Amino acid sequence: MDKMNRRSFLKLGAAAGATVVTGSYFGWFGDNIPVSVRNETALYDVLIIGSGAAGMRAALEATKQKGFKVAVMSKMAPTRSATCMAQGGINGAAAHTDTKDSPESHAFDTVKGGDFLCDQDAVEYYTNSAPGVLLELDYNGIAFNRQADGRFEQRKMGGSTYSRTAFSADITGHAVLHTMFEQCMKHDIDFIMDCQMLEIVTDDGKFSGVVAMDMRTGTIISIPSKTVIVATGGYGRAYWVRTSNPFSSTGDGITACFNVGIPIKDPEMVQFHPTGLAVNGVLLSEASRGEGAYLLNKDGERFMARYAPKAMELGPRDLVAQAIEKEIAAGRGVGEGLNAAVYMDFRHLGRAKIMDRLPQVYQLSLEYAGVDIAEQPVPIRTSCHYSMGGIDVIDYKTCATKVPGIYAAGECSCISIHGANRLGGNSLIEVLVFGKSAGIGASEHAKSTTYTGKKETLQAAVDSWNHKFAEASNRNSGPSIAFIRDRMALTMWNNVGVFRNEADLILAFNEITELQQEYKSCAVGDSSKVFNTSFMNYIELGNLLVLAKIIISGALARKESRGSHSRVDYAKRDDANFLQHTLVTKDGDKFKTEFRPVVIAKYKPEERKY
Amino acid sequence: MKFALFPGCVLRGIASEAFLATVKVTEALGIDLVEIPSWTCCGASHLQDVDDITALAVNARNLAIAESMGLSIMTVCNTCTLQLRRAKESLDKDIKLKAEVNAILAKSGYEYKGTAEVTHLLWVLASNPQLLDGKVVKPLTGLKVAGYYGCHLLRPPTIMNYEDSLNPESLEKIIGILGATAVDFDSKLKCCGFHAFWTAEKDVLKVTGQTVDSAAKAGADLVVTPCPLCQIQLDAYQPEGRETAHTTSELPVLHLPQLIGLALGMSKEDLGIQRHVSAADKVRI
Amino acid sequence: MAITLKIERSVEGKQWVQDYTVELEKGMTVLSALIKIKETMDPTLSFTTSCRSGICGACAVRVNGNAVLACEAPMADLVKKYKTETLTIAPLANFTTLRDLIVDWKPKYIRLKKIKPSLQPKDEFSATAGCKQSPEDFKKYQKNSECILCGACVSECSKCTADATDFLDPFVFSKAQKLVADTRDKDASAHLAPAVQEGLWKCFNCQQCTTKCPKGLSPAEDIEKLRIATFKNKMSSSTGSDHAKAFYDDIHETGRLDESKLGLKTEGLKVALRAPMAYRLMRAGKMSPLEKSEAIPEIQKVRTILEASKEGK
Repeated sequence: MDKMNRRSFLKLGAAAGATVVTGSYFGWFGDNIPVSVRNETALYDVLIIGSGAAGMRAALEATKQKGFKVAVMSKMAPTRSATCMAQGGINGAAAHTDTKDSPESHAFDTVKGGDFLCDQDAVEYYTNSAPGVLLELDYNGIAFNRQADGRFEQRKMGGSTYSRTAFSADITGHAVLHTMFEQCMKHDIDFIMDCQMLEIVTDDGKFSGVVAMDMRTGTIISIPSKTVIVATGGYGRAYWVRTSNPFSSTGDGITACFNVGIPIKDPEMVQFHPTGLAVNGVLLSEASRGEGAYLLNKDGERFMARYAPKAMELGPRDLVAQAIEKEIAAGRGVGEGLNAAVYMDFRHLGRAKIMDRLPQVYQLSLEYAGVDIAEQPVPIRTSCHYSMGGIDVIDYKTCATKVPGIYAAGECSCISIHGANRLGGNSLIEVLVFGKSAGIGASEHAKSTTYTGKKETLQAAVDSWNHKFAEASNRNSGPSIAFIRDRMALTMWNNVGVFRNEADLILAFNEITELQQEYKSCAVGDSSKVFNTSFMNYIELGNLLVLAKIIISGALARKESRGSHSRVDYAKRDDANFLQHTLVTKDGDKFKTEFRPVVIAKYKPEERKY
Repeated sequence: MKFALFPGCVLRGIASEAFLATVKVTEALGIDLVEIPSWTCCGASHLQDVDDITALAVNARNLAIAESMGLSIMTVCNTCTLQLRRAKESLDKDIKLKAEVNAILAKSGYEYKGTAEVTHLLWVLASNPQLLDGKVVKPLTGLKVAGYYGCHLLRPPTIMNYEDSLNPESLEKIIGILGATAVDFDSKLKCCGFHAFWTAEKDVLKVTGQTVDSAAKAGADLVVTPCPLCQIQLDAYQPEGRETAHTTSELPVLHLPQLIGLALGMSKEDLGIQRHVSAADKVRI
Repeated sequence: MAITLKIERSVEGKQWVQDYTVELEKGMTVLSALIKIKETMDPTLSFTTSCRSGICGACAVRVNGNAVLACEAPMADLVKKYKTETLTIAPLANFTTLRDLIVDWKPKYIRLKKIKPSLQPKDEFSATAGCKQSPEDFKKYQKNSECILCGACVSECSKCTADATDFLDPFVFSKAQKLVADTRDKDASAHLAPAVQEGLWKCFNCQQCTTKCPKGLSPAEDIEKLRIATFKNKMSSSTGSDHAKAFYDDIHETGRLDESKLGLKTEGLKVALRAPMAYRLMRAGKMSPLEKSEAIPEIQKVRTILEASKEGK
């Protein structure tokens, strides 16, 4: 404020007094880093990395503990998280619209949808918790669509037997995130924003703190904490332009956990959504095909006749995704490289129907592809949409990982709820159910633990990162971030995409290794300490390169086809050998792969037919 | 061309010179105006702050009277234009609301049908420049004019959709036809603050001073505006504006019909320019 | 077509304008142009972006002085609109700039908290049973729930530009109205009182906020609705509400505004301090306070309409 009049001064004073009185840990009047962190006197009980719905929900749970020091750290402003991009809805067997629904039905649909790779005990816990979570969301003030009896409405999404998807028009994720943020403001949750996590630090095999860069000043800080909840989201950006994910989905938390020895589970399970815009991966809703759009190759043929002659464009997501890639591989697509495409044709629907039923699809096609879909077909291609795999959570009730003090929740975690393929509407409910569980788990641990982390260990990590920053940020020649990244994306898409085989996977692994070598001389191109977004992108790329190898390791190890993972050389599902989770762990410079049996309870694996 | 004229309150009071000029100029240009009998205040955005249905009903009545005259409405005040067009849009797009308001109107024997458009003198002239053909007997050659639009003729663009609200051109077009030169200035599309004068006086006076100063610094000899509320703010409060904004610029501020009238050969007295508070003597044509 | 972007930059105390030239491609947005510059010309150019599809609110910037959401701003449209091959890009106004096009949101959350930005559910609802609300009532606040906190409404806000210390950002008023209009909320005054306290009646009504919102919200209309709510909730009067009421009373009395009495009705006796201005207006012949304003011929019909509008409330 450049104008401090008496009234403003009194107001500020009152605010300061109020802040002290309410027991808020910090008095930082607008600064993004708490004073106690800057002064190195901070010790958190629960530090949450990632400000999506999982992170925010965890914070709301942890803050229930009297006197707890809780904060949510985010590399951007809190409401920019990927949660806001989810559209279709949030599942829970509240049975408002379809009284036949039940948590058991939800559980079975989830397990079948996941091609039986889901841990059924965790799924049961999840579907039992879901209805209560939806009701609590309503009570928190979410903008749910309503039905005549005044309760929130639920609709049907793919793979669900009954209507169990509560929704807020077609922006449910946005509604969930902002409702959580409102609650966080109500409970005065501290947000450490514009802070890029660099490393999770352990001491004697226990979590001790997080090292991060305060983007606003370039200062590298360490934050000691008894527990950390990693809620950093997915890793679709390993495929860069061929993902619907935001720029921020770079798997930072997953790589950080991998680096301290936590296994990454089922990383090869990435969901490919058939219809993303070819130009930038932005999703065109599944409703497009539901409303009757055609998929055409470069010759104007409805090529689905070749792959699903009965269902045509309405085959399941993974089938349609594979069909599109096959057409392009056979030379019947348009364009080249990562932006090669087939067409989605809406013309026969007529402008009126398009504007009424698919206004967002119309808008996105016009804005990003420059195509008026009432006049022309729009180029689309399969896009990586969701990461089923992630940080190995070993206790679904607490979201604990194998390292004491480290918890994981949301898309970055793998419990596993979604197995080999996620159903629409199941992610938004997952982040809330397990955000809460992680909040409880971390709180319990913090309550019953004395902090034993050593300051020296954290300081050593800070020093190391200061050195890395100085070195990297002053490099002005060498391969650019984009150059390395685009080749990573190309090899990932071509070799670790919809169709995989051993030779291609090994090729990709080797190419990534070479790219990691090049990364060592990558030109960041910006030496400023203040908001060095280039350095941030450099860090994210480093994380993605590690993740790429983790994905490939899992894909190599799983010698079968299941759900979203399709091995051309092992085309069938192999329950005898692979009703198991893949676990990829850091082993020096190598990637060790092990297996863990899936927890099977009520539902014996059966053939997955729709 | 014939329109039902909606003068708006200030044209009958503080800004009666604008009424005078409007009548003289439209007559000279062959635009036939019939004042709407028994029109009421449009609410001026302030009635709209008291109750939504009341404001809608009041303006539905104004619109209904014009409809019964078989004419579309011409306004000469930005805020009146916005409030009437808003009312029309709300009623036309919501059948239930229209029925609710018509039930109220029926108690006094009115019915809103939606058959009358609402336009502004500036838009009529910008769309029909041929009306000025051969009438500009005293082209304002060499006169530098700052065309100050006033918020409510441009925004919100969903309702005030005559032209691009971020890059309008109608005023410049008319200024050019009159032989003068339009100057671009920072405050061209900004707010004069009139409606917040009572609650944010200092801010409004600061903006008043800044606006006049912005036009002066761009080389303008005078400011012209299609809104009498902006004219009042920039003219009557110009001394306070200078004091609050610590500026020294002094410029005449004309109503749009006054500028047109001068180019049509009318005198300053004909157009009521002597009623202005600020720099009326600086208007030398 | 080659487009020149003149970008207002700043870092570590330095401020300058830097020119970049990009080739206009089909479907290019302001955001994709910025990304192209960063990746192929100048890695130091800094801006925030995440979803690149109009829902996260991270990328709002000013183009030629007007806020837009960069990922939804097609370059071709801007070139056509401003009839130019040069565009100026700047960070949002009325925010503190951290670097280049990046602004500080932290103070805005502090301001947002002032209107108690969360639902206080009615006592009849519970966390275990949820809430009830009709589909019609849902529509009353649904639009307001679509705010993405992009800040475009703040940038050209006339009041924020003049002085933001006794006012709130337009999106804050939209959030307040969302809760006031939500039938699940138990007490509108919890949001209304702070809104009034923090300058609800000081809005200029310039409509910039509504014009700039990329999601079709209308903060200006929300401010209007909040003002209406202060009457409905019988909150104590202030200069602003008295000014509004004066118009209602005048229309009731004569059908038109009585300018000479407006000051008195708005400010009470304090208006005596405005004698110099009043004298100035009288001298110019613009005002004659001794003149009695006459009611329009159809005033009875108008009064009937005013009464009828009040019924059913």
